[in-house]
Amino acid sequence: MLIDANHLAFSLDGNTILKDVTLHMAKGEVYGLLGPNGAGKSTTIALLLGLYSPDKGNLRLFDESNPGEAQIRRRIGVMPEFAGFYDWMSARDYLIWYAGFYGGMQVTPDALLQRVGLSQVGSKPIGQFSRGMKQRLALARALVHGPELLILDEPTNGLDPRGRREIHDLLIELAEREKVGILLCTHLLDDVERLCSRIGVIDGGRTVLEEDLKDLLREAGKPHYRLHITQVPKGRQLPPLVRLLNRDGDWWTFEIDLNPRVGIGTIWEDLLVHGWSFDEIHVEKNSLEDRYLELTGAGMPTQQEKAA
Amino acid sequence: MNPMTLIARKERSALLQNQRGLAWLLAYAGILSAFALLLISNRELSLLDNAQVVYMMAGTVTAAGALIAVIMGADAYAGERERGTLVPLLTAPVSTGQLLMGKALGLATAWGIMYLLALPYLWSVGAGGQNLGQAIFYLGLFGTPVVLGFGYLAMALSARSGTVLSSLLTGLIVLLFSASPLLIGPGLRNSAIGMALDAVNPFSGALNTYDAVIIDSDPFTAQLGRLALVLVWLALTFAFARMRARHPAFR
Repeated sequence: MLIDANHLAFSLDGNTILKDVTLHMAKGEVYGLLGPNGAGKSTTIALLLGLYSPDKGNLRLFDESNPGEAQIRRRIGVMPEFAGFYDWMSARDYLIWYAGFYGGMQVTPDALLQRVGLSQVGSKPIGQFSRGMKQRLALARALVHGPELLILDEPTNGLDPRGRREIHDLLIELAEREKVGILLCTHLLDDVERLCSRIGVIDGGRTVLEEDLKDLLREAGKPHYRLHITQVPKGRQLPPLVRLLNRDGDWWTFEIDLNPRVGIGTIWEDLLVHGWSFDEIHVEKNSLEDRYLELTGAGMPTQQEKAA
Repeated sequence: MNPMTLIARKERSALLQNQRGLAWLLAYAGILSAFALLLISNRELSLLDNAQVVYMMAGTVTAAGALIAVIMGADAYAGERERGTLVPLLTAPVSTGQLLMGKALGLATAWGIMYLLALPYLWSVGAGGQNLGQAIFYLGLFGTPVVLGFGYLAMALSARSGTVLSSLLTGLIVLLFSASPLLIGPGLRNSAIGMALDAVNPFSGALNTYDAVIIDSDPFTAQLGRLALVLVWLALTFAFARMRARHPAFR
């Protein structure tokens, strides 16, 4: 395992930031770490990088138990959310200087700059770079030593659509060809759907979901049916395969487990047989965004938690 | 290359290649130029004894050096944090001890440059006298721990405080407080409080030594107590910086 984190808890200056965070990531996997602002994503990353130590729980990187050690850091590339540099240095000089911490560059600076689309501006001072160019340079910095694990915080921030696509392609190549594990912390669910094989959702300092994206999308992809109900039977008994999700006045939302043997027509007939009447049906396809909002909405802190 | 050397190299380039670093050096040279010009051209000041003029110049170099050291120290961690360059350093295979040593080496290099820059000014005001060599030697021996100590103090503040501004202001207040007996003048310095402050104030220690050796030509052995004071100041501020920089605030 690249990352094996179980039930991490962490407090800073008396404030509980993480209550129970769990994260498992294998080699070559692209893992999307999601969560609303203040959920604990950045603190989780800080723990993984050894910048903080967990108060409770078990954390292992590369099957080793000391994330802050130099030997572990040599195997990780980090792209923080705020890409800062020394503005007076050129991109090429900066990469050579930074690679010195790792004993030198794995590839030539020009090859790396070309890989992130900065080959034309390698000798320009970084102070003249746009935000998008700095994002690309931050990615080059994270790759300078050929890491086995890349931790990227909002890597496509400030990039135009073409730049975003290029970075996506580069990340896919890194994961597929070079088997680099990528932990992607982002708010952009498009990025997650395109890049990630597995996701973890943190809310209120807890992991509320950790699942393969394919499974989640399959589950999230089940349509919801909103029916305008005109008559409700006594006991409100539902036919098999039909589950009530919520109700808003006369509008009832159901999830239905369809399978090749049971078509939707059969379900409507079953509802009528059970005493339900309805005069309107809306089909709503659920998305990753809906599932995310559903998960993080439920995990919102209670008033008591907020007060604490 | 050793991480400490890499960081020191970056610090040196921040001073010599960055516009801001060059501006600070220019400001330092400007202060010395203005003071030297005043000492040479002002009718009343130019009548001062040559040793007195060299003493004043050595004191100015120490004060200006300490000021620049406080500015650099305040920027050491808080500046990196504000620029977003601290996290890449902390996540690289660099220990916090190596990071601090690299910063300290960078500060020492900056003081070395300032010391060299001060030599022509000392020569310009004191070339005709006999105590120029003494001034250069004691500026190196006493000025170095005082200046570096103020830099380390500012670094210690910067490692945990939120912004460059807050650590800079705190560092400047300590520097002003240290210089206050000198600013207020001999009246206060001869009082019990003034003498007590002089006994523990590294800035006073350096200036009193300049006074004693440049003006009064006292022997080196008479300065050992003050030398111990400035060295203790250096050791204490470095230990404070080391303690605070062990877990620097990174966001």
